[in-house]
Amino acid sequence: MLLIRCPYCQEERPEIEFSYAGEAHIARPLNPDDLSDESWAEYLFIRSNRRGLHYERWLHAHGCAQFFNALRDTVSDKFETTYKIGEARPQVKK
Amino acid sequence: MSYKLKSDQGVILADLLAGQVTLMADQLRYSLRIKSQDRTAFTKACGIDLPNKIGQTIIQNDRMVFCVGPDEYILIDNPNLRETLKQKFEQLADKFVFSTTDISHRNIGFKLSGKQAARMINIGCPLDLSLETFPVGKCTRSVFESAEILIFRNKEDEFQLETWRSFAPYMARYFEKFCLENESL
Amino acid sequence: MTINRKETHGRINRDKPIKFSFDGKIYSAFDGDSLASALLANGIHLVARSFKYHRPRGFLSAGSEEPNALVTFDRGQGRVTSNVRATTLEIFDGLVAYSQNNWPSLKFDIGAINDFFYMLFPAGFYNKTFMWPKSFWDKVYEPAIRKMAGLGPAPIDEDADKYASLYSHCETLIVGSGPAGIAAALSACEKPGRVILIDEQNEFGGSLLSTPNLTINAIPAWQWLKNSLAILKGRQNVTLLARTTVIGYYHDNFLGAVERITDHEKDINQNKARECLHRIRAGEVILATGAIERPLVFPNNDRPGVMLASAARSYLNRYGVVVGEKIALFTCHDSGYEVIFDLADAGISIACIMDVRDQVSDNIIAATKTRGLEIRTSTIVTNTSGKFRISSLHASRINDEKITSTEEIICDCLLMCGGWTPSVHLFSHSKGSLKWQENLGAYIPDTPNENTISIGACNGTFGLTDIMTEADSGQSKYTVDDMDFGSGIIAATFPTKSDPAKIKAFVDYQNDVTEKDINLAVREGLKSIEHVKRYTTTGMATDQGKTSNLNALQITAHAVAKPVQQVGLTTFRPPFTPTTFGALLGGKDGDTFHVTRKTPIDGWADDNGAIFEPVALWRRARYFPREGEDMLAAVNRECRATRESLGIFDASTLGKIEVVGPDAAEFMNRMYTNPWMMLKSGSCRYGLMLGEDGYIMDDGVIGRMAEDRFHVTTTTGGAPRVFRMMEDYRQTEWPELDVWLTSTTEQWAVIALNGPNARKLLEPFVEGIDLNPESFPHMAVREGRICGVETRLFRVSFSGELGFEINVPAHYGRALWEVLFKAGQQYDITPYGTETMHVLRAEKGFIIVGQDTDGTVSPMDAGMSWAIGKKKKDFVGKRSLNRSDIVAKGRKQLVGLLTDDPNIVLEEGAQIVADPNQPIPMDMIGHVTSSYWSATLNRSIALAMIKDGRALTDSDIYIPMADQTHKVRVSTPIFYDPMGERLNVL
Repeated sequence: MLLIRCPYCQEERPEIEFSYAGEAHIARPLNPDDLSDESWAEYLFIRSNRRGLHYERWLHAHGCAQFFNALRDTVSDKFETTYKIGEARPQVKK
Repeated sequence: MSYKLKSDQGVILADLLAGQVTLMADQLRYSLRIKSQDRTAFTKACGIDLPNKIGQTIIQNDRMVFCVGPDEYILIDNPNLRETLKQKFEQLADKFVFSTTDISHRNIGFKLSGKQAARMINIGCPLDLSLETFPVGKCTRSVFESAEILIFRNKEDEFQLETWRSFAPYMARYFEKFCLENESL
Repeated sequence: MTINRKETHGRINRDKPIKFSFDGKIYSAFDGDSLASALLANGIHLVARSFKYHRPRGFLSAGSEEPNALVTFDRGQGRVTSNVRATTLEIFDGLVAYSQNNWPSLKFDIGAINDFFYMLFPAGFYNKTFMWPKSFWDKVYEPAIRKMAGLGPAPIDEDADKYASLYSHCETLIVGSGPAGIAAALSACEKPGRVILIDEQNEFGGSLLSTPNLTINAIPAWQWLKNSLAILKGRQNVTLLARTTVIGYYHDNFLGAVERITDHEKDINQNKARECLHRIRAGEVILATGAIERPLVFPNNDRPGVMLASAARSYLNRYGVVVGEKIALFTCHDSGYEVIFDLADAGISIACIMDVRDQVSDNIIAATKTRGLEIRTSTIVTNTSGKFRISSLHASRINDEKITSTEEIICDCLLMCGGWTPSVHLFSHSKGSLKWQENLGAYIPDTPNENTISIGACNGTFGLTDIMTEADSGQSKYTVDDMDFGSGIIAATFPTKSDPAKIKAFVDYQNDVTEKDINLAVREGLKSIEHVKRYTTTGMATDQGKTSNLNALQITAHAVAKPVQQVGLTTFRPPFTPTTFGALLGGKDGDTFHVTRKTPIDGWADDNGAIFEPVALWRRARYFPREGEDMLAAVNRECRATRESLGIFDASTLGKIEVVGPDAAEFMNRMYTNPWMMLKSGSCRYGLMLGEDGYIMDDGVIGRMAEDRFHVTTTTGGAPRVFRMMEDYRQTEWPELDVWLTSTTEQWAVIALNGPNARKLLEPFVEGIDLNPESFPHMAVREGRICGVETRLFRVSFSGELGFEINVPAHYGRALWEVLFKAGQQYDITPYGTETMHVLRAEKGFIIVGQDTDGTVSPMDAGMSWAIGKKKKDFVGKRSLNRSDIVAKGRKQLVGLLTDDPNIVLEEGAQIVADPNQPIPMDMIGHVTSSYWSATLNRSIALAMIKDGRALTDSDIYIPMADQTHKVRVSTPIFYDPMGERLNVL
């Protein structure tokens, strides 16, 4: 069970309090009706499914109930960093 | 016709829990939501102190206010103050953007006391309840096995746990098992 | 019984003699014995039969790595544990154990015939032999194999014991309490953080318990151990957990450990937990898990009496037990000599010392000579004899990998020392990488993946001086008087003069895998150790190859002629040792196994004979049978009573969400398909929620309580995901909206009254709400009081009858129900459950999300285009409703079905075809989603999803079932009161 730092609670908390919420930084289009079927499908279904460092969303479901973003390594499972919704994504260290 | 409906909390505690776990009497509970930038002014206007950081608690007389999220407070108070508070919130409705929802009956409160209290919570809750990491006055939501809980440390060896009504009997059974085991140790 | 005891040796309590039973015979032992030491003290070496060949087996080890000596431990009904290692089972007065995997007895075991037909059981035997005919597997092969093979029997009674669990936290967790672990604990306890020291044995001390002769800081080992433990026990910040096995090491220093609390106690205490699952989060983990001695692989190396050298030392020094009267040693490592010296010094006769190496250090030669012994160098064991215990061995001189001469030597015990394998299991669980250490012939920890260090033997550090220094962070405050640990060579394969096809040199004792099997696997083309493992099953027994993995690896490497590192290493997986299911559950049994959520009214339903069904985590009353009624009879009665007079239903499980804030209506408008901006306070509307993919996700009636407040209801099962989805949009897509959500599912108990007499019953109890239909029409909501408590009263109907849903604060739910039920007697008020609710709504063609929809149904498919706000610019899922495949023809649509024979109730899920005479495979055009007997209509009804179904209205389709094909007429899904007139009764 991982320890995850919640950027709102400012604490490391056990994974069991959290749930995964998919890839991060995929905003809902502001005017969906203007999108072609292809672009809408892209938004709906296409994800990067990255091996390695991945920007993703988590929910501190049984804590402060806030969604937040994280940079996590999908190979080691470890979290590099977590940050609040609306904050710029941290750069991946090469 | 006049009726007096009996209130029931849906959970009965075993005798062996006496002194270690008690069911809290009916409480007035509100979920209060307000943006952090409005917090100070709101407090000034209505006299209800709101903690400014997640995990903090403010106690005034019977009233406890837990800050459980960036804009989320759980207010627990004497049920006799229901109308007073309701009016207070109504008066502020035009002045502030906020939300109150009555959750008095949604939650059941347990009080856990004694040297074993932290250990009893740790049979199902993964948080570190040492005084260093969970000092007196701290509150947070967490889990107790399959139940979501709100946990608050009153004193060094006293905690208050809140859970949703239908999860309360399940938690009570855990406490009973724990006390049976530990009586025999 | 004292014949095999050494009075001068051991830590057993000779003042506490005890009796125990093995295979029905009573023996004596002392407090402090293990079952293994107690049996050996009684001269018992034969304790088990092997897995495949049923060969006689004894004790290989004295610890948790034991592959052979598995017994059944019997504490009475519901307390029988199979496959317990006799070497770790603590003895107590009255202990009962049996040998297993033999019939009719341990000494005369019919299954031993397998040993003579070994040519029939080569590696991969099962894979090759039982392939055909396929149908034989279930009925013939598997039952027969299960009976012959395997270990102890699985218990048949329910587990009578209790189990517990506990989350713990510490700054330093030390696993293993040998000299390294103790030294690490002594230095850790000086720091402010919490320290937990764990050991799997009943006593702390690890290898020190078997080496009383060495000294630390000039103090004898056992005294030093006692002093150290006294210090640790005196520290507030130290927790000592003995009899506790760390079974797994997971992410971020989270470890699982099982403490055995009662298995060693004479008396059973019903309330005490047998085992406790500790879930520990540690800042730093110090692994001091030691090393396991390696057996040597030579023909018939599995006879009782052939054991690891270190085991003989433990039995002598810890338990005062002599494992033989004429003991031989076969070694390739200096550490074997320490054992033989201890035995010789205790006055035990040594049969011979055979060393594979052609040279041994001068120190060892001198120490051997002092004791009047001699070493046969360049000598190996090429065979052993003895039926139930070794009686002699063949010692063969080798020269340049060839046997030059062989001599038979009489002995009753043969000790093996093949070097040491560091216990890196836990380090590997934590995903630390390993590196090959050539001089040890073993893998040791390389790069950790967690905040952990390995110290002592598990890190490949041997010799007490080095271990203590490493344990004390490189300081050398310990001076140790210990024999030099020395060195050895790796000797996994030996030359033989016998026919290699006929010899059995065991590598994996527990799964009966021999050197020959591994060589065969390589010959058959399996080059990777992962493949060899699965083909031969080496290392796959309950001991996970603790004693065999490295030998198997070496033999494989030898056979493929590659360096070991290139052959690989199999993965270590939790649990470290076999673990009871009870411990893994950690007390989650009975009514704590799973949450069963109950409504405030559940108790009344229970008292009144309800039959329940699970719905998500809830249990709900399904129907209320009267005496002699089955479900159909009860449901028919409940349906009729509701349509004709009055039914009462507990709808408390409906999900409820309070949506509050100045932007509440805008938020609702975006989340649901329906328009919300113009809905007046005090009105309700049916709300339909889609996923962004355009498919129906949830539905429910939503009341506008005030301009800025909505009372949203969701399906019972959908409540958590709807709440989460709403929160997701609120927080991440539309943070500009001033709106908040609160789950109120459990704040309100909900009592639904349905039927023409609903209003009449309700009226006298309600204050502050005018129930007159003009002022309180269908789809209205009011706040007021009922029986003196606040209520949110909805006039809604999921049955088609006049209906009310009374929300009251949950704690008043049951009391109000009882008042209404009592007063309702004048109307024959009838409680009904979910089954009747389903029938009533199906008669009206109301869908149930998740039953009539399956995540691929659009509002148009369900015939619910009316629920979509046509003028709305956007809402969740709107864009997808224009996707080409969603507007395409040929989609399945919701229709009603009426069977040609009104008495046939279709099966839900049944497939539908247009032409029953077409050849198989038929073209399936849809399926039945809901199907019931309708007492109201006195016939069956069903709902179905059919391709372009609405166009098929009034035509016939067919449902082929096993016994007959049903002809069915497609209809509108509304079977009853299509104009909705019954809602308007006065």
